[in-house]
Amino acid sequence: MRQALVAITVAIAAVPMLLAVAGLPRPGDAQAPVHTHVAARYVAEGARETGAENLVTGVLLNYRALDTFGEVMIIFTALAAVMAVLSSAAPRRPEDDAPGIASAIPISPVVAFIIRLTAPFIAVFGAFVILKGHVSPGGGFQGGVILGALLMLLSLVLGRGLERPLLPVPLARWLQAAGPLAFAAVGMLGLALTGALLGYPAGPDQQLLRELMVIVLELGIGIGGAAIILGLFLEMRGD
Amino acid sequence: MAGLWGNIDYAAFVVLFCIGLYIIIAKQNLIKKLLGLNIMETAVFAFIVTSGMVDGGTAPIVGAGATGPFASPLPHALILTGIVVAVSITALALSLIIEIYRQCGTIEADELKGAE
Repeated sequence: MRQALVAITVAIAAVPMLLAVAGLPRPGDAQAPVHTHVAARYVAEGARETGAENLVTGVLLNYRALDTFGEVMIIFTALAAVMAVLSSAAPRRPEDDAPGIASAIPISPVVAFIIRLTAPFIAVFGAFVILKGHVSPGGGFQGGVILGALLMLLSLVLGRGLERPLLPVPLARWLQAAGPLAFAAVGMLGLALTGALLGYPAGPDQQLLRELMVIVLELGIGIGGAAIILGLFLEMRGD
Repeated sequence: MAGLWGNIDYAAFVVLFCIGLYIIIAKQNLIKKLLGLNIMETAVFAFIVTSGMVDGGTAPIVGAGATGPFASPLPHALILTGIVVAVSITALALSLIIEIYRQCGTIEADELKGAE
């Protein structure tokens, strides 16, 4: 009864949304505002202005770098909040102290061997996606997630929990802040060079400098993302 | 009605969005509610990314030899930001659910009402 009521409510809520999408330009229409507003300039000038042939990276790290600065701060703050919530000193219920699933079922040696075997290749692939993110598909976030997944796998296989983490804790703290730190450094460099926070020098002979700034940001996002994902995993897994 | 048929891709995302909304309202388990929220987020992301595509277009990577038309890079960049924020929300919500389970011993919303 209750579920039928909810279904009817949701169906009623869908009607205005369907009417709204019916009035939108057809997807794929080259004359839609999404292609004629700022995107036309990004496609025409983006590679020269941002130093990134991958225009998504160019928009993310140059035209809208301040948004991305906020984004890395959000994920960093999320990690801080998760740590604050899960490490609160509230007494744990005694019945929850039974050994978790992770330690109750040992990992199959076949799985452990395969993960150890493929780990270097995954790491190289992640580094490639981060470093080539400005000229080919990929980027800091994508490569960071690949590296973070690798660190999670290795933590599981090697049995490293919160007690004995894969990365030493002081190092991990700095790596988790790598994204905001890289943005602060590049932002200050832009401030010194152009007078605007996260400003990129516009001269035609400074293409290399623009590319270097993009790569530093990508590295910061990638390494920071990997460390934050590992941190989230370790906090939620417990010890 | 003709407009809706032409935008049938968008209509599919509305359906996906409503599935997520239904899960959030109808299910009592907090993890399932969070899954519903993620389904809603996915619908919004797919909707905005789809709006950036163009007929016969390729990915917006303008290396040597690449010819247009290119898909609009702006929706992709915005949604990349959105996905990271969604991950942050999911992580924080999961940690809160873990803490609720530690404190109250249940993650069913209707049982939590009586637990106070």
